[in-house]
Amino acid sequence: MVNLFQLIKTLPTLGLSLIIGTGSLVAQEIGDYEPREAWDGNPDINGIWQAIGTAHWDLEDHEASAGLPEMGAIGSVPPGQGVVVGGEIPYQDWALEKRQENWAGRPTADPETKCYLPGVPRATYLPYPFQILQGTDKIMVVYGFAEANRTIHMNVENPESPPLDTWMGRSYGNWDGNTLVVEAQGFLGEAWFDRAGNFASNALRVTERYTPISPDALLYEATIEDPTVFTRPWQIRMPLYRRLEPNARVVEYKCVEFSEEILYGHLMKKEDE
Amino acid sequence: MKCRTKIKEICPTVAKFFSSILSFLVCAIPLMANAAAPHHITIALSNISEAISWYEEHLDCEVIAGRDDTVACGNAEIEFFLGRTVGGSQGTGVDRIGFSVPNLDAKMAELESVGVRGSGVRLVRFDDGSLVREIPGLYKTAFITDPWGTKIELVQDEDLYGFHHIQLNSVDPSEALNWYAQVFGGERASLKGVLDGVVFDGVWLLASEYTDGRPGITQGRTIDHIGFEVDSFEETSTQMSSVGAEFRGEPAVPDNGRSSTRQAFILGPDGVTISVVEPGWEGIEVELVAAASESTELYVVPKTPWGEPDLQGIWTADAAHGIPLQRGIDVAGTDELTPEEAAARRERGTLNSIWGYDREWRDTTLGYVTSAPSTQVAMVVDPPNGQLPETTAAYKELVANAAPRIPPQRARTPVDLGTYVRCITRGPVGMMMPSIYNNGLQILQSPGNVAIQKEMIHETRVISTEYREGFGEGLKTWLGDSHGRWEGDTLVVEVRNLNGRTSYLGSSEDMKLTQRFTRTGPDTLQYEFTVEDPAVWTEPWTGMFNFIKDDNQIELVEYACHEGNYGMTNTLSAARTIDAREAEETEYQE
Repeated sequence: MVNLFQLIKTLPTLGLSLIIGTGSLVAQEIGDYEPREAWDGNPDINGIWQAIGTAHWDLEDHEASAGLPEMGAIGSVPPGQGVVVGGEIPYQDWALEKRQENWAGRPTADPETKCYLPGVPRATYLPYPFQILQGTDKIMVVYGFAEANRTIHMNVENPESPPLDTWMGRSYGNWDGNTLVVEAQGFLGEAWFDRAGNFASNALRVTERYTPISPDALLYEATIEDPTVFTRPWQIRMPLYRRLEPNARVVEYKCVEFSEEILYGHLMKKEDE
Repeated sequence: MKCRTKIKEICPTVAKFFSSILSFLVCAIPLMANAAAPHHITIALSNISEAISWYEEHLDCEVIAGRDDTVACGNAEIEFFLGRTVGGSQGTGVDRIGFSVPNLDAKMAELESVGVRGSGVRLVRFDDGSLVREIPGLYKTAFITDPWGTKIELVQDEDLYGFHHIQLNSVDPSEALNWYAQVFGGERASLKGVLDGVVFDGVWLLASEYTDGRPGITQGRTIDHIGFEVDSFEETSTQMSSVGAEFRGEPAVPDNGRSSTRQAFILGPDGVTISVVEPGWEGIEVELVAAASESTELYVVPKTPWGEPDLQGIWTADAAHGIPLQRGIDVAGTDELTPEEAAARRERGTLNSIWGYDREWRDTTLGYVTSAPSTQVAMVVDPPNGQLPETTAAYKELVANAAPRIPPQRARTPVDLGTYVRCITRGPVGMMMPSIYNNGLQILQSPGNVAIQKEMIHETRVISTEYREGFGEGLKTWLGDSHGRWEGDTLVVEVRNLNGRTSYLGSSEDMKLTQRFTRTGPDTLQYEFTVEDPAVWTEPWTGMFNFIKDDNQIELVEYACHEGNYGMTNTLSAARTIDAREAEETEYQE
């Protein structure tokens, strides 16, 4: 897999068709691994997983930068390699400007600082563990941050669009060989993708692919479609790693209280006033 | 949910409003001396026997033998019928009914001491916070609302005690009063030389000018209609034709009428439905059909494909909303409420919970829940008397010395408003409790794990049913560390490592919580919770209620509570406005 990722990073100049073609490369690369089966014969992806990297800071390549000066180096933003296949997010012109506005306003505008539900795909690569539970006809994904949660409805024929838009959307899943394919839609359009202000609208559709590539890793690929914001569909790709500690848990991360100063500080009566 | 109570017949005007939801309906008809008499007021509600008790207890009305749906209140009768209440009386053509008492201050003090939780009485305060106001030249007056949304005016009129008046809303009060005087023969008169009205055999018909468009139609609201008794339909019909009114349908003996008396309806001015009856009216018999007895076959709990008891699905605590934690004195000696009593209790609980919400929201919410309400008398099942155990001396002292709670209008920061309002949590015990909305519960299992997701606020716990090392001493959380195991078909969960930052009825940070989930039928999930907290209670106690399967839902609707917490912004903003106003007043005084 390391080779695969290196290969992908060399591809940007080769154009979109080839990049989409890497899907089959991935299939070949992972073809050798036969995952353990769950009760229903599909791959067993139950467990606690976590992305490792800096995608939560910025999906694209990014240099180290200053963050919260009062926290010194701890508050700075670490450098990182992007996870966008092809390197850059294909924004429409207006949307690129909007992204820059988001960037400038991020200390208070980022929904994450407000402890809002992270949306999809951001929930996946927040720097915290999440748990996948494969039930009888649904799969649940439980995230710690803001107590986010997704129910993936499996094998639904003619899935209905959700009756209303939500932060986490509605998810329908199917197994494609060893890959769990999840179609998520019905988003509110207020969630961001990362702390750099990358975003989409409520027209967003995300197609995710979770493929076991070893007993302790999944390949996570998400195709982002939103014709109101981007010039074409684009994809992110990263591994998710199993948390191997015997006592690994998704610990509830109730972050509301840490957002209240940002949200309501101007309406508070402080003791010293 | 199937409807457990079925009303076969009601007054025709009301029948169309029937649904499986039971609610209160009051009909009041004043009595008339020479001409027609106001005879009854009809109030729609969810529990007739409870309404009768309420009107007996608080307004000195009397039960009428052989008519278990009607009370006599001075010169008028109030008939109740089971019907879906689509809203209170205020703002309709019949805004309210009035009762006169000898000592209004004492009466209001009495109602205040009973409290809304005890009786469902809602007291209406004037802007200055007082309950009673003296109207110069008239009398003292006060307002309350019955548990079903009927607005009631209480006055102290020494000339007439008991049922006192019917207050209409009218776009043209004078014309409306003339209409009633013309059709029913009452006397146009002035109440104490102050208020224009029509007097019918000791009952006043008064009218206020309604300036906000047209008043709402009465039909379907708590005061569904008012009734008049007339000597002959023919005579009334003649009078009616002089004002261009006519009966809707021919006078007829209603189906299930208790006497051979005929009844007819008129649509009066300002959307008021009026029932007209001949002497001898005894109302309509309501027939309640008992629910079919449930199957007594032994239920076998289904298993997941991997062999564990299967609790998966979407469940709701809607049916349990309204069950008090502790057994009330009113149900001493009762093991189970009747479906009618249960419906009334839930509606009362709903009204009490949402009184601060605007009327439209409240009215739609009343009819929102479709599942049959639980007939359980109390959640506490141990101690068996349904009461929480005695609290400890140390806890009593703690309570006695506790700082007073800061009211919302004084909130300095979100912390003053509590973790529920802040959308953090209702706590490990509270999070499972039924409430007015968001009662959904989703359970999903994977081998060795049970995820319990709650709709309210949105909280999810993943419970391992296999032994695992717990959190260390240094990690405590709001909902704690859940350790699960199967005991037969029951999921037993012990909750440890609670951070103690929420409290259930005073529970301390050392509380030990044990929860038990058992599927007792295809659609029933029994939930028991045991609280052990020796710092607060002298012995452990256990509560129980059922979640009901909700197959109408495929998932819980995302409740983005914090994301949409406009209430927090509004409350704090109001508190700061009050601060500023007070600061200004202080400055002005200086």
